[in-house]
Amino acid sequence: MHISEGILSGPVLISGAALAAAGTAVGLKKLDYDRIAQAGMLAASFFVASLIHVPVGPSSVHLILNGIVGLLLGWAAFPIILVALLLQAVLFQFGGITTLGVNTVLMAFPAVACHYLFRKFMFKTDRAAAVAAFACGFLAVFGGALILGLALMFTEENFFSVAALVIGAHVPVMFIEGVITAFCILFFRKVYPQLLPGVRP
Amino acid sequence: MFATIAYKLSRVVLLALLLSLGVLQEAEAHRVTVFAWVEGDMVHTQSKFSGGRKAQNAPIQVYDQQGNLQIEGKTDDQGQFTFKAPGKMDLKIVLIAGAGHRAEWSVSADEFGDTVTAKSVPANELPTSEVDQTTVATAQALPQTSTNLSRAELQQIVEATIDKKLQPVIQMLTEAQTAGPTFQDIIGGIGYIFGLVGVAMYFRCRNKSA
Repeated sequence: MHISEGILSGPVLISGAALAAAGTAVGLKKLDYDRIAQAGMLAASFFVASLIHVPVGPSSVHLILNGIVGLLLGWAAFPIILVALLLQAVLFQFGGITTLGVNTVLMAFPAVACHYLFRKFMFKTDRAAAVAAFACGFLAVFGGALILGLALMFTEENFFSVAALVIGAHVPVMFIEGVITAFCILFFRKVYPQLLPGVRP
Repeated sequence: MFATIAYKLSRVVLLALLLSLGVLQEAEAHRVTVFAWVEGDMVHTQSKFSGGRKAQNAPIQVYDQQGNLQIEGKTDDQGQFTFKAPGKMDLKIVLIAGAGHRAEWSVSADEFGDTVTAKSVPANELPTSEVDQTTVATAQALPQTSTNLSRAELQQIVEATIDKKLQPVIQMLTEAQTAGPTFQDIIGGIGYIFGLVGVAMYFRCRNKSA
């Protein structure tokens, strides 16, 4: 889900960078000091997740994990994803430095949106929490693919064909991430409920 | 009621998953690379996604130094595309792999042998280097039947042989260019993140004690 250098036009890159900067500022302000260690762990997981290739059909896809990062951290997902993407760009040549802002927005924004959509289910019944977590993992990738299509719309001809291609390619990742997020949330509920967002009953 | 909804949802999910497997051709990847090497007057390119998958049917554009489009084509099933060099000049090869993936590779004019220009430049105007003199000397020492090889022909033969000998080396370079991140990269990145956490913790402690 990383956009390479030299594809997007200047205005798209600049607005992406501006949005990412704003999101990061809000995220840093909202990041609770008690959650710094957790944020670091999640940043490390996000950083490594892109290396895990899952064979699907004739090709392979890889994890993104923006859903669970957003669900657990809310706005703090912005700085976390920014740092992880910067390191991926520098060390792995995934994405690029000029596209860092756009890439951050397309992975962090759906993550934050999912946080506000689904956090209230975290302390409901097991099943509700699992369904909400699955939807969170699923929709965070879906939203990212949608923004990716939107960003590419300004360079490639047709939004719908680009968006359909990108979303189609991500469908297996959406399901895999949904399942992973659901399992993580169920595990945290049993073992370490302090990690979960929302109001504890 | 919840159970029936969950059951229906799971059936939809399963169906969608099966459908997606069918339509999946252009899988998403984080990085795409293109690597090019010269063989005689032909330029070979190899395109790969991170994870080792070949970039198939992806458009490739070849630009000259001024940014003019010289050649356009598509990669084959093996992610390869071969074209005849438009001349001895610097080339920029751009791979467009769709959905936000793009890669570049430059081929400098020095990588082309003299055979590319040999067609337009008469043999006696070719630059005479030390190597040329030795090859000419060996050519003269050969039996009479083979001495009627012109210098240009001889040079072509030598270059073809060198290209053949270099094949495994080029293969290794292709592998190295398109390889994924190393273990050191991964550990280094995790270390950076933990270092940042440490810095944040340090500021917290300082604020507390102040």
